[in-house]
Amino acid sequence: MKITKEAMCGTLESNDLLVKVVPFGGLQVSIYSEVMRQFGARIREVVDETLKQMGVTQGKIVIEDKGALDCAIRARVEAAVLRGAECEDLDWRAL
Amino acid sequence: MNDDVNIETLNPREDKRGTAEVKRLLGANGLEAEADVQVFVVARDRKKIVGCAGLAEGVVKCVAIAKERRGSSLAVRLMDEVQRLALNRGQSHLFLYTQPKRAPLFAGCGFHRIVEVPDQVCLMENSPVGISEYCESLQAFRQEGQRIGCVVLNANPFTLGHLYLVRQALRECDWLHVFVVAEDASKIRYADRLDMVRAGLAGMDRVTVHSGSRYLISKATFPTYFIKEMREVETCSTAIDLLIFRRYIAPALGVTHRFIGTEPFCRVTRKYNEDMFKWLESASVEGEPIRVVEIPRLEVEGRAVSASEVRRLLTKGDFAAMAALVPPTTLSRLRALYAYRTQLKAGHRAA
Repeated sequence: MKITKEAMCGTLESNDLLVKVVPFGGLQVSIYSEVMRQFGARIREVVDETLKQMGVTQGKIVIEDKGALDCAIRARVEAAVLRGAECEDLDWRAL
Repeated sequence: MNDDVNIETLNPREDKRGTAEVKRLLGANGLEAEADVQVFVVARDRKKIVGCAGLAEGVVKCVAIAKERRGSSLAVRLMDEVQRLALNRGQSHLFLYTQPKRAPLFAGCGFHRIVEVPDQVCLMENSPVGISEYCESLQAFRQEGQRIGCVVLNANPFTLGHLYLVRQALRECDWLHVFVVAEDASKIRYADRLDMVRAGLAGMDRVTVHSGSRYLISKATFPTYFIKEMREVETCSTAIDLLIFRRYIAPALGVTHRFIGTEPFCRVTRKYNEDMFKWLESASVEGEPIRVVEIPRLEVEGRAVSASEVRRLLTKGDFAAMAALVPPTTLSRLRALYAYRTQLKAGHRAA
């Protein structure tokens, strides 16, 4: 799956996160979080896992986290990618 | 806490009543409603507007929150909506000017500091990686040498004067980076200006021609350059643009010298040149100092060659007179682009 247009999902309110996706040659993930030192590694895990499950191979993913829970991170990343990939045929059960 | 607040958009050209209310809110916060705001995002508590943020060509401005609503994360909701609205208009990369003391508020809304003129103004962008990724992309063009030069040209269009400036600069440095201002704000399109520069400098050794960017003399970094009818050139902020150059662009490319032509005509450009010494050379500013070298303009028949003169001739369709001021590469491109149109106009007049 490739990011074909710019898209975003989420907010910068507390306990949420903002995910922006941009078309890009490779796959590049940048994560910024207010709780980077405590949970940075875990956030990256969740993001990488979600991208892998969706089969994202190309795109720039920029995440600004305001202390969101794992489920919120997963949902926001999924939604942003789906918007940016203009994806129609998705195997929802795989997610 | 803001559940009773609705976030709406407001078009300043259509909704006069709403705009008047926004103006009052801005006024109460010591701000003015700037004329180039295309759309406002407003927070309404029943009828009353309690917060606003304006969007103008990729720059967020005129942000204010009513006193009684501060500290309730209303700014975050407003700025989220501004970003969403801008993205829908195809503009995902936003800039924002604010007073340095307000920067922390916008930092909480996803804006990241680029540069700051202490106690005056701070430029921010809505990406944590914007300027750093731009610098990384520039680093690919780094060249080794003792003296690395840079010129920034609007090249509107590329004249013999520009060619002369590049040649003179090259005599004083090991490599020269040439940037072309990317903003499409005039009759000759950016793509055509860039093409004229590339053609005019083709085959020249030790020169790299770069496309411009929003970080270099753009409506975001240097708004006044593109609004030249403005008389208050003195108040225009050249500082932000020059600080970005000094802190980010020059280090990325290893630039040690910036070359400029003397400016006999345009007040804005002259002011920019003067300020360059202050912001690029001064030791009291953060970042390695950059030497500014002013090169006297090329004169043809006792008059400094100027692009605005060429544009004047272009409107008249006087290609013969232009030939003395621009290189053949520019002349042939101007002909290809405009000769047909000027003929058309002349035909209309004759008819």
